Amino acid sequence: MADETSDNFFNEFLDDYFAESEEHLAIVRNRLLAIEQFVGKASVDSAHLDELFRSFHTLKGISAMVGLTPAEELAHKMESYLGALREGRISLLPEGFEALIEGTRTLEKVIGAYRNNESLPDIDRSSELIESLTGAKPQTGSAAETKDTEPVTETGKSTTSQQWRFVFVPGAVHAAAGVNVNSVRASLQNIGEIIRSTPLIQEGEIAFEFIVVSDASETDLAGLEKSGLTFGPLVEPSPESEVEVAGGSEPSTATASTSSAASAFVRVDLVRLDQLMLFVSDLVVSKARLETQLKSMRGSISDRDWRGLQEINAAFGKQLRDLRHGVMRIRMVPIGEIFERMRFVVRDLSRETGKTVVLDIRGADTEIDKFLVERLMDPLLHLVRNAISHGIEGEAERLAAGKSPAGHVRLRAHTAGEVVVIEISDDGRGIDTEEIAARNPHLQLFDAAGEIDAPQLLKIISTPGFSTRDQVDRASGRGVGMDVVHQAITELEGTVSLETTRGEGTLFRITLPLTLAITDALIASVGGHMFALQQSAVNEVVEIDPKSIKIMENNEIVLYRNHVLPLVRLSNVFGYEKKESGTLYAFVVGSGSRATALVVDKVLGLREVVVRSLTDPLLDIKGIAGATELGDGRPILILDAMEILSVAATN
Amino acid sequence: MKDSLATAMFSEATSNKFILFELMNTTYGVRSAFVRRLEMLENITPVPNSSATVEGVVLSRGRIIPAVNLRTRFGFPKVPFDIRTRLVIVESEGRTVGLIVDSSREFKTINEADIKLPPEGITNLNGEYLEGIATVDGRMILVLSLNEILKVGDPVSEATIDLSQKEQSDQQKVRTS
Repeated sequence: MADETSDNFFNEFLDDYFAESEEHLAIVRNRLLAIEQFVGKASVDSAHLDELFRSFHTLKGISAMVGLTPAEELAHKMESYLGALREGRISLLPEGFEALIEGTRTLEKVIGAYRNNESLPDIDRSSELIESLTGAKPQTGSAAETKDTEPVTETGKSTTSQQWRFVFVPGAVHAAAGVNVNSVRASLQNIGEIIRSTPLIQEGEIAFEFIVVSDASETDLAGLEKSGLTFGPLVEPSPESEVEVAGGSEPSTATASTSSAASAFVRVDLVRLDQLMLFVSDLVVSKARLETQLKSMRGSISDRDWRGLQEINAAFGKQLRDLRHGVMRIRMVPIGEIFERMRFVVRDLSRETGKTVVLDIRGADTEIDKFLVERLMDPLLHLVRNAISHGIEGEAERLAAGKSPAGHVRLRAHTAGEVVVIEISDDGRGIDTEEIAARNPHLQLFDAAGEIDAPQLLKIISTPGFSTRDQVDRASGRGVGMDVVHQAITELEGTVSLETTRGEGTLFRITLPLTLAITDALIASVGGHMFALQQSAVNEVVEIDPKSIKIMENNEIVLYRNHVLPLVRLSNVFGYEKKESGTLYAFVVGSGSRATALVVDKVLGLREVVVRSLTDPLLDIKGIAGATELGDGRPILILDAMEILSVAATN
Repeated sequence: MKDSLATAMFSEATSNKFILFELMNTTYGVRSAFVRRLEMLENITPVPNSSATVEGVVLSRGRIIPAVNLRTRFGFPKVPFDIRTRLVIVESEGRTVGLIVDSSREFKTINEADIKLPPEGITNLNGEYLEGIATVDGRMILVLSLNEILKVGDPVSEATIDLSQKEQSDQQKVRTS
């Protein structure tokens, strides 16, 4: 049927389809885990079953709509099985539960493959498995069928104007006459405003529903029937009552109460949000401009007027911040969404490896940018897999080591200032650093005190192709895992760090910027030029007396808080003139033994800046992360502290 | 190579309007289809460790873009900027770049037929940046090949090295000639 619709029109539905199916698969995964406790029991909690049934029903419907037959077929069989469970004709046995899990996974793969334009995986095994367990089929059209509560995207529910509901069923006859969804859409646009268009499934046939607001009378619209459209006035709240489409005699049991809960959410295109964010960014710049202008007026106006203006300005600043946070919040989703998915992975893997693993989730309500969520899935997946297949020991080994028989994997998330920190830890055997050191004799893995150099270790295990396993197992790839993790996190402007203790476990810490668009930056000057540095990268701002600087070979160092702090002069890195006299200032970046002081001439202050990326290849310079402008039209470069250090190191 | 590029430019360009600018008392033209706007040069921020031809970054209509000094690009001696200095903002292949020129005050319609390939003799100087040379009303106008001007090369460092070497040799030629 796809060929009858225009590509664009269809693609819109495809995007909706993927989003929709993802939502339902998430529900399915959750509910499946919830019903696991009922395996082998006489009956299963009906709320869970109902939800599962509905989700598969919807998956079936929407898959049919996009012509993804294998998904439709599989979802249908799973729906039938759940129907049988619900009616109490069969009970939930372990093999039935397995079949549900297996079927869900296959369904996921089919939809994923379709999305990536890959060849579709075979569904036969899953499909036959679930069918064999369902038992005798009930008569079709029994009360087990729920009514179609198809996804709709509401754009408004104006009840004052006359709304018409049109249904178009594409068919060969119409196609031959040159009538397709697009032409129908066009002609409907002529008579009024289309406020909603929804694909429908009616008895396996695709139909398109259009809700149109129009002044036209019923007789005006009659002509449209020739082009295969059926229509009638829209009657809320039960538009189902007037389904004129052929074969629409499906009995319905009301399930509207639960599905209507979803309509409290609006799905928004990220592009639109970005646009909104851009407007807010412009406002921030205007605000900075206003402030500069205000300052120049001091003295030329009365104190009273000055105070009044200052007050308004301060209020404006606060409101702008609120607006900024508000817009940013729209993009934020709880990280729990991906953490919950990990439950599924953990369950699978613990089965596969025969290890008992308990997953502990903390901070699931930590909100992160939607953009990050999608890109965090793979790295997290790799880390969780690694934890179970490499980290957690078998039961015997754990008991021998005096540990609890069940392994623990912990996922934690929290926000700290401008960053979100995600930790994946296990209480397994820890990374065998000695073995890695033995395999890489040329690398200095341990420092003089015999302490493991964690960043160095991380670097080694993140090398493409690295694997501690001689045998490749299914669970955790072929040593590509950490490589992927490192790359994905770097692309998100984040960092990965590692802590591991032999026999006690391993912890990976991912640090990501909450958002990149607007940030607090420290402004400094070097050699007469202004620069900005993200405040989140700076641990401390310190004053340095030039007399206290010691020279060690080619390095300048100072003693600070009883630690040796190496100095990197930005004037050196940039080839600017060195400040000859007076107090120097430095930003302490990096932590622990890697702390370094970036020396500047002067610190000018802390400002909220809009980060603008420098995309032109002419500006692809190491150490420069972007640019900003403080409201006076003069660009200021934003430095990447870590990159500056590496530039300095290679000089 | 140069020929084919020049030919491609001729056939693709529908506009034969040119923005004219001055550099070292010579008139250059750039196809107006590529020119977004002309701006006064103010508030330029130098970018450390960038190619010598990048004078810095400027803020133009809310975007921060590189400003290339065409004098440096062509290996000419630099002069201080003054009130006649202009930034010619060009857009090509998704990139927006400002070109710093001595001055720019007019635009002109040039017949494609009047644009001749640059003579072999000047190729060694900066001929590869030229699409051709036009003579209009007794004035010589060097028509720029924007793609060549904006070329960065990959990797950047190599291009920078090539460029500086070339600039040196160019400068030497300028001096000796």
